[in-house]
Amino acid sequence: MAAFADLNVANTNDKKKLQSVIETAAHLGYSTVAINHVVEVQPKKQEIGKPSCVSELFDNFPVVQGKSKPIKVLNRLTLVLSDPSHFRQTADFKFFDIVAIYPKTEKLFHAACMSFDVDIICVAATEKQPFHFKRPPVFGAIERGVFFEISYAAAIKDSTMRRYTISNAINLMEICKGKNVIVSSGAEKPLELRGPYDIANLGLLFGLSEGDAKAAVSTNCRAVLLHGETRKTALGIIHTMKKSQPKEKQEDKEAPASKKAKLDAI
Amino acid sequence: MHVTDITGNRKQRLVVGSLRELAQTSAMFAELQKCPRSVLVCEKSNFTNEKSRHDKHVSQHYFNYKVSVLIPDCGVLPQCLRDAVSGFTSFYLVNEVPVFELLQEEFVENTVKKGGFYALSYKTRIDQDNVIALLPTGQLIMSVNKDTYEQLGLEGKASQYSHKQPVRYVVTINLTDKSMALGSKKYNRVLWALKENVPLKMDFLMGCQRDGKIGAWMLPSCLSHCPWKELQPSVETQILQDLPCPVLQSDNLRGGSSCDPQAFLEWLGAVSMGISCDNEATSFESTYACPEPQTFVNQAVLCTVTGLLLPEDVHSLLEELRRYFDHPKFTSWLSLVVHGFADSPVSWGTAEHGFHKGGENFYSFVVFKNQDYWLNMGAGANDGCPP
Repeated sequence: MAAFADLNVANTNDKKKLQSVIETAAHLGYSTVAINHVVEVQPKKQEIGKPSCVSELFDNFPVVQGKSKPIKVLNRLTLVLSDPSHFRQTADFKFFDIVAIYPKTEKLFHAACMSFDVDIICVAATEKQPFHFKRPPVFGAIERGVFFEISYAAAIKDSTMRRYTISNAINLMEICKGKNVIVSSGAEKPLELRGPYDIANLGLLFGLSEGDAKAAVSTNCRAVLLHGETRKTALGIIHTMKKSQPKEKQEDKEAPASKKAKLDAI
Repeated sequence: MHVTDITGNRKQRLVVGSLRELAQTSAMFAELQKCPRSVLVCEKSNFTNEKSRHDKHVSQHYFNYKVSVLIPDCGVLPQCLRDAVSGFTSFYLVNEVPVFELLQEEFVENTVKKGGFYALSYKTRIDQDNVIALLPTGQLIMSVNKDTYEQLGLEGKASQYSHKQPVRYVVTINLTDKSMALGSKKYNRVLWALKENVPLKMDFLMGCQRDGKIGAWMLPSCLSHCPWKELQPSVETQILQDLPCPVLQSDNLRGGSSCDPQAFLEWLGAVSMGISCDNEATSFESTYACPEPQTFVNQAVLCTVTGLLLPEDVHSLLEELRRYFDHPKFTSWLSLVVHGFADSPVSWGTAEHGFHKGGENFYSFVVFKNQDYWLNMGAGANDGCPP
């Protein structure tokens, strides 16, 4: 299993609140946290805005409980869209480590699963899913390495939303059979976070198996992060970093063997 | 469709919305009813029996974190037990050790090959990070992530507890083997992997058992440049008052007229955690009640030792506990529970240990007046069956 990650921590302008949420996440045992910037895309306004630099948040990042390394904080962008034609990949995307999309219509869901260059597709937690999940787009997304995300903070706040979260999640599991699913918090306050093993148990309520539920908080989150990194690099083959050895990417199934041989020479 | 109830009578037809939906929901609830599996092996034997393998079980469980002794009907811990408990070997916490230093010739010749040396990486989780352990047999066990394994370039096996695709690999290297002699191909490759490919640096807990005549073990010079601390295992003694105790009979493992091992272990856990076993109506925390048949004891001693505890010390403690019954005592039994590290890569011997929702790997001796004993060994979900 990989280290635990919570890929949806709501962004606020209140720096102290965000700091306390991240400290709570580190205390609970999460090694990676992604700050979620939610943007409702307007057809006329194109710019999304640069996220604030992560290193400004803390001088010393809090150490993850039980380990000696500090917590890693990343930036994530979520686009809330209804119309597939509004999705335009701008240069702003490169400031974010993960890009997610929250589809409001069936047409957009289908387009996002089959063709959009995103890492995560969010499943509605606060309302009943306006459309049904169909097999072709869901399987298409699974093949491309796109993950479906379920947020649980809404379920903590209100009992009606709890029903929507669970029913939407179960509908998704019936189609995807527990593959390519991640569970994240969507927490705005520190009290809305829960520990990773508790979330693995919550996954059982959503219809995931034991192994799938734990993977939804660990291994699958790692896969999302790697998928996000491939967007910054050329198909994940060439990666500039201080060390001279490039890392192999899990999602990199398209690279033929000849390209890898050339890389050793570099 | 017709449904038969338990008495075999046919009932009225049920109108069901969709048979498929019913099957799916019932399948899902069946999944919810399952728990991660745990294994408990209970054995009974006598210490004086020559075929008794209690020595082997104690010495094979290498990494022990906590030992707790419960003696009913005892107000004060006897002097000999107090000496045994405070005589546990001290251990070292060494920070930021480059792992390739463990391969240095001086270290291998003077420390590892003489046996009795235990090392376990500190503050590393077995289900999230890289964990390294050095067994007293000279084997270096590295349980590493997929990324680390692919970069390291050493041969290893995929973890037994992988889900769909392996994300954890176990690399085992025998440092005392002839193929790992200084200068050999394999030795150079391992050194290259740990020094150049992935220079792993970890904090280690190290302990070494030495006979009195050789003297206490000192940290070797190749490690003395790392920040280190010598630590003593911490001892805590509690006197419990008015404790309901289950009645145990040494020859009755199945229960009935006396308590069976499973119910006894539950009770023992409740007592160690300080959970009240009265089943009071006003208690919100626990409705647990002491298993029947039970007696009341006025006092009991609960002594807990935590740290990196070596099997040899546990063995001497067990021998002292056996000698407790040399003089007549009120109680007919006492118990010793030894917990293994939840994040150790091995449980008994070289059996792989993992952490699913819990990493328990413990064993417990219930020592009876007549030198009979019960040995209960428990393991969690990602663990093989204890030996």
